[in-house]
Parts: sequence; structure tokens; C-alpha cells
Amino acid sequence: MDDQRQEEYIVEMRHITKRFPGVVANDDVSISIRKGEIFALLGENGAGKSTLMSMLFGMYEPDEGEIIIRGKPERVGSPSMATRLNIGMVHQHFKLVSNYTVAENIILGVEPKKRALGLLPQVDIAQARRRVSELSRKYGLEVDPDQLIEDANVSTQQRVEILKMLYREAEILIFDEPTAVLTPQEIQFLLQIIRELQKGGKTIILITHKLEEIKQVADRCAVLCRGRLVDVLEVAEASTKAMANLMVGREVSFQREKPAPDFGAEVLRVERLCVNNSDGFPVVKDVSFAIRAGEIFAIAGVSGNGQTELADAVAGVLRPAGGRVWLNGRDITAASVRAHALAGISYIPEDRQSCGLILDFDLAENLALKRYYQPPFCKQGVLDHQQFVAYGERLIEEYDIRSGQGGRTVVRSMSGGNQQKAIVAREIDLGSPLMIFVQPTRGLDIGAIENIQNQIIAERGKGRAVLLISLELDEIMSLADTIGVIYNGQLQSIAPADSLTALQVGEFMMGVKSDEEK
Amino acid sequence: MKKNNAPFSVTRNLLGNEKRQAVTIPLLAILLSLIAVSVVILAVGNDPLAVFKSLLQGSGLLPKASYAAKKSMLTDFLSLLNALTPMLFAALAVAIAFKAGLFNIGVSGQMLAAGFVASIVIGYSALGPWLAKPLVILIGLTVGGAVGLLIGFLKHRFNINEVVSSIMLNYIILYVSTFFINTNFVDPVSRQSRYISSASRLTLTDLAVGELKMDIPLGLLLALLTALALKFLLDKTKTGYELKAVGVNRKAAKYAGMAVGRNIMLAMFISGMLAGLAGVTYYLGFYSSIQPRVLTSVGFDAIAVSLLGNSSPIGVIFASFLISVVTKGSTYMSSAVGVEQEIASVIVGLILLFSACGVYIRYLTARSRDRLREQTATAEGAAPAAAVSEKGGDE
Repeated sequence: MDDQRQEEYIVEMRHITKRFPGVVANDDVSISIRKGEIFALLGENGAGKSTLMSMLFGMYEPDEGEIIIRGKPERVGSPSMATRLNIGMVHQHFKLVSNYTVAENIILGVEPKKRALGLLPQVDIAQARRRVSELSRKYGLEVDPDQLIEDANVSTQQRVEILKMLYREAEILIFDEPTAVLTPQEIQFLLQIIRELQKGGKTIILITHKLEEIKQVADRCAVLCRGRLVDVLEVAEASTKAMANLMVGREVSFQREKPAPDFGAEVLRVERLCVNNSDGFPVVKDVSFAIRAGEIFAIAGVSGNGQTELADAVAGVLRPAGGRVWLNGRDITAASVRAHALAGISYIPEDRQSCGLILDFDLAENLALKRYYQPPFCKQGVLDHQQFVAYGERLIEEYDIRSGQGGRTVVRSMSGGNQQKAIVAREIDLGSPLMIFVQPTRGLDIGAIENIQNQIIAERGKGRAVLLISLELDEIMSLADTIGVIYNGQLQSIAPADSLTALQVGEFMMGVKSDEEK
Repeated sequence: MKKNNAPFSVTRNLLGNEKRQAVTIPLLAILLSLIAVSVVILAVGNDPLAVFKSLLQGSGLLPKASYAAKKSMLTDFLSLLNALTPMLFAALAVAIAFKAGLFNIGVSGQMLAAGFVASIVIGYSALGPWLAKPLVILIGLTVGGAVGLLIGFLKHRFNINEVVSSIMLNYIILYVSTFFINTNFVDPVSRQSRYISSASRLTLTDLAVGELKMDIPLGLLLALLTALALKFLLDKTKTGYELKAVGVNRKAAKYAGMAVGRNIMLAMFISGMLAGLAGVTYYLGFYSSIQPRVLTSVGFDAIAVSLLGNSSPIGVIFASFLISVVTKGSTYMSSAVGVEQEIASVIVGLILLFSACGVYIRYLTARSRDRLREQTATAEGAAPAAAVSEKGGDE
């Protein structure tokens, strides 16, 4: 019996409970993972998936419960102990040294040594390169061992992370939200790699909140909701809808209710806009488009093709190198950031924590960040804190922003979803004719995504022009009235959303030109 | 992990909530440093209590056994205040820069620039006191402010780190003023710059009041009022809100439409003006001449004082008072108890060392408080599940 079980389950986590200040991240969770299977962990942000796996990888220790690996109870006190137990993990944020080469990153910490002149120890880089090439051939993980990480794109960096685990002879591979940073094509490629790894005898644990991926590759799937294990399903037998409902703990609608469009006058016109990045390198090239009132104009594209700079330039944060931006018929190209905001632009920037919020300020101060200098918040240069508090309370109530101590809460201590809700509330409440949303739902859970997407649609209904920049194709397909696809700083195509399929948009995103421009 | 809780819960109860911690943590730092100093003093074979007592006596907070003619505890205390004035201005200069995320390490240089220009323009003139003293203050503000503004401008326009430019300016100011003092304004006997006129001096010296001769620092009142004004500026005004926003997150401030460069220049301008006031109250108040080729340590001690005072204007008042007591009382300490005067520097150093640990102490208490809160929540059976989704335990 014991032998058989040892055969069957490579990892067992029994009655795991883990508490963080103010939070029970895992509450009596038990999972068992068979050798050689692809086991998915499904749950919203904050459901406790990453915490559970961080304990398996030795980054935290459970407060209660035990971890059994290959039939033996083990104390995994550190990632290096996990490595010795042949457990590897690819983190959501890669842990690579950017000015080292691919091979150097892979061997970092377990370098093969040789002795020059039989005496001086040094890293045997030739051997390292050989082994890296061997591994990458074996699993179809194409990398150039001599490429610098800073020159490698995201999916290459991810392959390096996977090779790092394989180089350390990991048998149990944990992937933490591996597809969050990839394009649809790259995702397919990664899922293929994961299948290859499974064929090579590895056990794979996949942390994700994307249902299709689980449907595609996973054998079994554990659903976590608010720190508790809800169910373990055979993926082949479960429907996507059922999994989603388990994950959220209620009925979820995937379809956004979007009323028929009612376009008004043109609000934003961008003509031949060119923007350089901080190194003076052109990243937005000759981009022209227009958005009407009541229209959601979405810009689709793979990360890093000039979207952030385009949004910054329209909002006035970056000075364009060329071209013009018109808002309601006024040329605002050269105006200051504040003049842009006053002219009628609300901006939800991509990087909410470093650009959208001042994390060390409290919630009320952050909610007034675009209005603090106007009455009633400020009279003759003196601030009225009562007004900050009252305004904060109103927005917190109206937009359902949850925080520990209301307006007094330091924003740093709030969850990502509520931080984003705060920014969205602040910007929507300005009532600007143009709203720019950049990656508004990135990293949020299904509940928060639903909330924010519905608000975007509501703004459209109020006759605002919406510029939506997103890397999530699904989001663009379900929200946009008009889609522009950006590739390498240029708009490849602009077309009504209903004339395009997700596949076509995906092709434009990879640089295929639209027919009429060929 | 739970076993770590007991000692922290003690400190937590002692230190109180976050608001009170602004006071309790520096106090704890001072207490810890006094204990550490006591060990040092015991090690060199002296009585710590006697040393501390002599420091207080030397700075006029406790009566001495005997006084020289025309001196008393009051005159000692006034000379403490005389030393305190430039220290307070200098620490405020550092604090306002800190609030805007800038590190003004050039306060000493700005002090010297202001003191030097005020000395040669007003100090050697024949102006009467009613004209000379306000002009000295005005020159202090202008010259210090100009140097600060230059540093801010270099940072804004050319992205030159303010630490580098202010250290460089320290040298430039030091050697330029030394050159002119040595060529034009030197006193052949003292080898310092010539004494300024008493009309231009911001401290009334040897003022006969009854039996006593006392030094009255006129700048102190101004320094205290400045601290209050700064507190108002930071807490209650739009400018203060912007300075703090720029200080903690320059990028978000820019996205919110604030003029980041203007705020950086403004912060350095204010910081420089305060340093200028420190300079005139030091060289034309506490002293009445300038020693060439030496940069005063006041501007550097002010960095530490500002840290001890949590960079808050009111905290800085108390912090500079404390540090001034130690430095001012050290002369009497070494003569009365017979320990080296350098022990005073050890005390100051240790106070600052422990106050720098304040951030860590704050972290420990916050952690233990969170633990306690969560234990109570668990004990009460209140399912904190809602908190999980809110706080995002796994990201």
C-alpha cells in the first residue's frame, strides 16, 4: 500500500494552513499530485495559489500541515532545499541577471568549475554552454546561450527560467502564471513545451487563472477560492463554465452587455504622431487615428510595441517628437500634463503603482490627486483636509473601493484590485470627454475585471470617447467598437471591431500588414 | 513564528500606535544610546551618571557647583540656545529637502557662502544695528537660496545628482571664500577673518543684565517661527502636498500633472535659504569671524539631527536641542569629570546610530501588531476569508 502510494503521488500537501498579517492565505488545503501529470491550480488573485506553491518551493513555511514528497515527510525550509528535492519554480516575475548571458544565468549558483593550470578555480563556461545547448535541444527550448538577458524578449527569458530548472535536474516543475506576459502565439508555444516536459517524465504544476489553458493541457485541476480548496476536478470532465463558477464562488458572465453604439462628434484626433523613448529612439511612428464620443477605440498589440509611449504622449506626459494631438478641435500637443487633464483627458496609466498612485499617501489623498489644487480642496494655496476626507468617502462608497481604514488607509497596504478601482474612480469622476485606459485589468481577478470592464462600457454609454490599450485580446474583442493594431510603433490596421476576428487581430499583432496596405 | 511575539508585544505596548511612534521611537533610540554610552564611559573608567550630569550642567540645565564672575545657569543656558540656533536652521534645511526626496549634503557649504557674503558686505560696513541685522538675514536668505536653487536647477535641467553637485559646491565655496579671506579680510593675529561689527552680529554678546553678562541669540525666535511655518507649509498647503508627492513618487507626481522640476528647484531653494540662515546665525551670531579652510560640521550633524527628528519640523526642534546639549555641554564635561571631550561625539554618534534603527523598530512593531490582530481575529472565529481576497495574500 505504502509503496503503491509512493508510486502514485509525488507530492502531497496535507492540511496546509498559512497565515499572513490580517489574512489567512491558505486554510486547511490538502492536495495530492501524481507523478508525471500536469496539475493545474486555479483561482482568482488572492485565492492562495502562489502562497501554496511558495511553501512547496520553500519560500515560506506552513503554519500548520505537512508536505510529503515521494512518500517522505519533508521540511522545505528554503528554495535551495527545494532544489535538492528536485523541485523547480518559474516565478511570475523572472529572476534573471539582465547583464549576464543566457548560459551564465542558467548556471548561476551551480557553476561547473575547472582549475586553470590545475590550480586557480574558475567557471567552466565552455562546459556550461555545452550543457545548456544539450538541454535546450532535448526539450525544444530554443535559446542562444551567448545572448544577453537584457537583449532577450520575454518569451526567451521564460525559456531561460525553464532551462534553469532543468539544469538543476528538477523533476517537479512549478509555473506561476506563465502566460501572463505572452502573446497568444507564444502561449501556444509554451503549452507545447509543457506537454514536451510531461512526455519527458516531469511533473508539472501550473498556477493560472486562465481557464482555456487548463482545458488545453492540464490533467487535473484544483480550484482554490479565498484560501480554501473548493474542489479537485478531472479537467476532461469539467466544463469551463463550471470551473469559473467554482473559482469565483458565484455565477460569472463572460459576455459583457454592450448596448448598440451611438457615436457622436469626434473627440480626439491624433495626426502623424511620433514619439521617442528616453534614449531618443523612435517607438511610435507616424500614428494617426480619431475617436468619436461614445466610441471605444482599442489598440491591440504585443507588449513593448509603443503602446505605453503612445498613451503617455496623448495624455501629455511625453512630449511627441512629431505630429499633432487635437482634443475637441483644440491643438493640445505642446500643452503640459495638467493642461491636458484640464482640457478633458482622464488617464489610467499602465503602471498603476508607480505612475497612477502615490503608495505612501493615504487613499483620500490619492483620490484627490487630480483635483487637490482646485477649490474646494484648495483655497489660496491652503488645503482643506475635511474636503479630502468627504470626497474620499464619496468615491469609496460610490465605486466600492475596499480598504482597511477607509480614506485613512495607506494605499500601499491595499490589494491591487482595489488600488486600480481607486484610480478608475478618480479618473472617471473627473468626467473628462476622453478616457485613456492602459491595461486596466492587468493582474486583476475575474470579479475586479468584470467591475472595471463594465465601468468602461458605462463610460461609453455616457458619451465619452475611450482609448483602450490592452494586451489581452479577449478584452479588446469584447469591448472595442474600433480596433487599431500596433506593431513596432506603427498602426497596422484600423477597422470596426465586428469586421475582425481574434485570429486576424493576432496576425496583425505579429506584424502582418492589412490587405489594403500591402 | 509565534514564539517571537512576546518581546515585541512589550515594545509594541510601550511604543503605542503609529502616530505616537513618531515620538516614542526617537525616545527609545535616545534611551538605548544612553545605555550604550554608559557602557563606553564605564569602559574608560568613569561614572556615566556624573558624565551625563556634567553635560546638563555645562549646557545650563542643571546648576554647576560654582560660577565665574557674571555667569550663572541662565547664561549657560543662553549660550546653549546660541549654539542651537544655527543647528536648528541647518536641520530644517536638511528636513525640507528630505521631504521632497532630496539629500542636501551641502548645507555646510551654503552656510559658509551666506556667512562669507554677509560678513564682507554688511559685517565690515559701518551700518547701524537696525539696518545691519535685517540686511544680514536678507543676505543669508538670498545667498543660501541661490546656491540651493543652483543645485536644484542642475538636477532638474541636467539630471545632475544633488549629492554630487552639493559636495562639489562645498569645495568651491570653501576654497573661494578661503582665498578671499586670506587675501583681503584676514586678521593677522587670529589667522581668521576679521571680526565683524557688533551692529551686524545676530547674537547680542556680553549684554549686561543686572549682575550677569549674557549672550542673547536673536535668530532663535526666527528659527522657531520658521519651524512652525514649515510645518504649516508641509501639512496644510498645496505646495507642501506637491513637495511630499514629488518626494515619495516623482513619476506619479508627474502623471498627476505636478511640475516636478519646479518643485525640486523650490525645495532646494527653501533648503538653501534655511541653510543660509544657519550660516549667518553661525558666522555672524554664534561666532563673529570665519575660520578659513574649514567647513563647519554643523551642516553634516544636521543630517543626523533631521533623521532623529523624523524630518518633521517639530521633531527637528527637539532633536537639535538634544544634540546641542551634548555638544555644548562637552567642554564643561571634560573639565569637570575629566573624560575626553570626544566622548560627546561618541554620544551624538550613538544617538544617531540608534535613531537610524528607528525604521527597523517601526517595522518590528508593525509586524507584531498585525500578528496580534490576526490572532484575535482567528480566536474570535471571525472568518477572515474576505480579507484574503482584499489583501491579496498570494501575489
